Amino acid sequence: MAKLLVVDDEANIRLLYAQELSDEGYAVVTAASALEAVEKLESDNFDLAVIDIKLKNESGIELLQRIVKERHTLPVILCTAFSCYKDDFSAWLADGYVVKSSDLQELKDEISRVLAKRQKGAFT
Amino acid sequence: MDWECCWSKEEIEPENCPYVGEGEEDLYSSHRRRVVEKCVECPRFKNDLARMKGSGYPLSDVLPFIMNEFQEQKAQMGAMLSFLNSKTREIKFLREVGIVLQTSIDLDEVLSIAMTAITAGKGFGMNRAFLLMTDKERRHIRGYLGVGPRDYEEAWRTWEDIGRSNFTLRELARDFQKTKLTSEKVKFHDILNQLTVPLADQGHIFNRALQGKKPILVENALNNPDLDRGLARILGVDCFLVMPLISRNRRIGVIIADNCITQKPITLQDMQSLETFAFPVAFALERASLYERLQEEVAKQKSANLKLREQQELIVKMEKMALVGKITSSIAHSIRNPLMVIGGFARTLLKGSAEDDEKRSYLESIVRETRQLEDVLSEVLDYSESLFPVTDFWDLNELVTKALSDLEGVMEQAGVVCRQELSPELPMVRIDYKQISYCLKTITATALACMEQGGELHIESLNDGDGVLLRISDSGKPLTETAQEALTAPFFQTQEMGEGVGLALCKSILERQGNSLNIFSRPGGGNTYSIRLLTKKENI
Repeated sequence: MAKLLVVDDEANIRLLYAQELSDEGYAVVTAASALEAVEKLESDNFDLAVIDIKLKNESGIELLQRIVKERHTLPVILCTAFSCYKDDFSAWLADGYVVKSSDLQELKDEISRVLAKRQKGAFT
Repeated sequence: MDWECCWSKEEIEPENCPYVGEGEEDLYSSHRRRVVEKCVECPRFKNDLARMKGSGYPLSDVLPFIMNEFQEQKAQMGAMLSFLNSKTREIKFLREVGIVLQTSIDLDEVLSIAMTAITAGKGFGMNRAFLLMTDKERRHIRGYLGVGPRDYEEAWRTWEDIGRSNFTLRELARDFQKTKLTSEKVKFHDILNQLTVPLADQGHIFNRALQGKKPILVENALNNPDLDRGLARILGVDCFLVMPLISRNRRIGVIIADNCITQKPITLQDMQSLETFAFPVAFALERASLYERLQEEVAKQKSANLKLREQQELIVKMEKMALVGKITSSIAHSIRNPLMVIGGFARTLLKGSAEDDEKRSYLESIVRETRQLEDVLSEVLDYSESLFPVTDFWDLNELVTKALSDLEGVMEQAGVVCRQELSPELPMVRIDYKQISYCLKTITATALACMEQGGELHIESLNDGDGVLLRISDSGKPLTETAQEALTAPFFQTQEMGEGVGLALCKSILERQGNSLNIFSRPGGGNTYSIRLLTKKENI
């Protein structure tokens, strides 16, 4: 079972993600801030992180850059309100990019795509 | 004794003296004046004197002495009077010229007055004059205007015309400016073109006159060893006057005057008169050309102000838009998350509900409506995002690597090799990622445009106090100052760069965020664009 770390500062959204992604068969751990996310990343192993790019009082991008620098192997999917960042981010920082929506199908598809890609990469 | 002359008679009849002319009839009855004005020079009186001497009159021996002395004094008085008259005329003329020159600030009018004064019969009466002026760069004296007839026929025509008219100097000058100024410039174009002399040519007669601040009268020019014969050949005369025009030690130009038609010799007196005249002319010319430059500057300033005002209005408009964007974005964000939660859980509930559940349609409505609202919000957010910058801390090196990888194909096509020297120890910079990426791409494209024949693009990043420096250097042709100006003046057009909007926009984007963009042309060739980005948060 793939283990996911979901980072978002809104409790209800964390709840929604946890509910929906658990239903898909993933083990979901949530973090409300970048600090909490870093702590959890240090104490546990994850297969993928889903990060909201606009976290309160801190930047999701900062967290993202730390992950990219320190944990090269961890795939990251960015969730954001802006579709216009897609070209810039997805190409070099994150492995996936999703515009936040109440319809989580896009996120779910992106998670399986990234995980499958990683799986494939691990065998080759 | 009967005298031949009428000197002894109180009153005479017209037949008594043939030397009293028309208009002098009062001399018939005025004994004293007749004797003083007529008899002393009358041959009959001289005969009477001779007869007197023979008859033993005692005064007849000394009278000739007195007579001679009287005649000499009279001649001297006459000469002095005529000198005085000519000087009075000259002063009157100079005064007229002075007044006209002092009241004029139009360069063409001043020129017309000066040249008319030199060549008009009422003025100095020279046949022809050329005006040469120092150019704006102060490197050369250049032929500017010639006045006068080109041949004898034209001279006659002109002098007849002038003789018939009864114009004052100002009127003559106005007429000249209106009808002849342009045609005279064209008429003497060939001669004027050959009169250009570098100011550095110390030995040239023009520069000698300017240095000595004195006019030089050239005579026998074709055989003068001190003179370039070419000048005499260009002018077609061997006697001419070179008059320096100097105002407050500033070399304004030179006037060359000659009598190419009448061949009348130029006298010392002509030279002195022209010298007196040269000073107000030089002063007026300087004033008029300064005024002309002032007008040019004022016009430039006016258009710059207009541009500035337009830009200020644009900035105010942009700021308003940015504010609107910020507010819109803030509202949209606060709605978006709750909407997502509502829609998301509605979907979860919908998934878990039985197919025949009556409430299923309610949930479907919630899902549908939230989806619609989310679509509207997406549009609003994307639009508002484009209106104001979102700054965050970014790794500049990664931004550079990404931007350059996008341009790899273009560089390869242009035959440009890219050398990167990125410092590994850079602090994060607070920037709007999209905007800085745009700036970097625009600058790189400009650098590539300067390297039409290919070359090397060198990009380096380094620490610089409280900021990070990004230098982009090309090996292309150096941009001119005008092209560099394009940086500071949007819509400034240059041959090298076309409309300079791209770089101007980059500069404005960078400066709005407290950063800077500078451009240098390197002495060895090539240009360096230097971007300085802050690592600390700035109030923007």
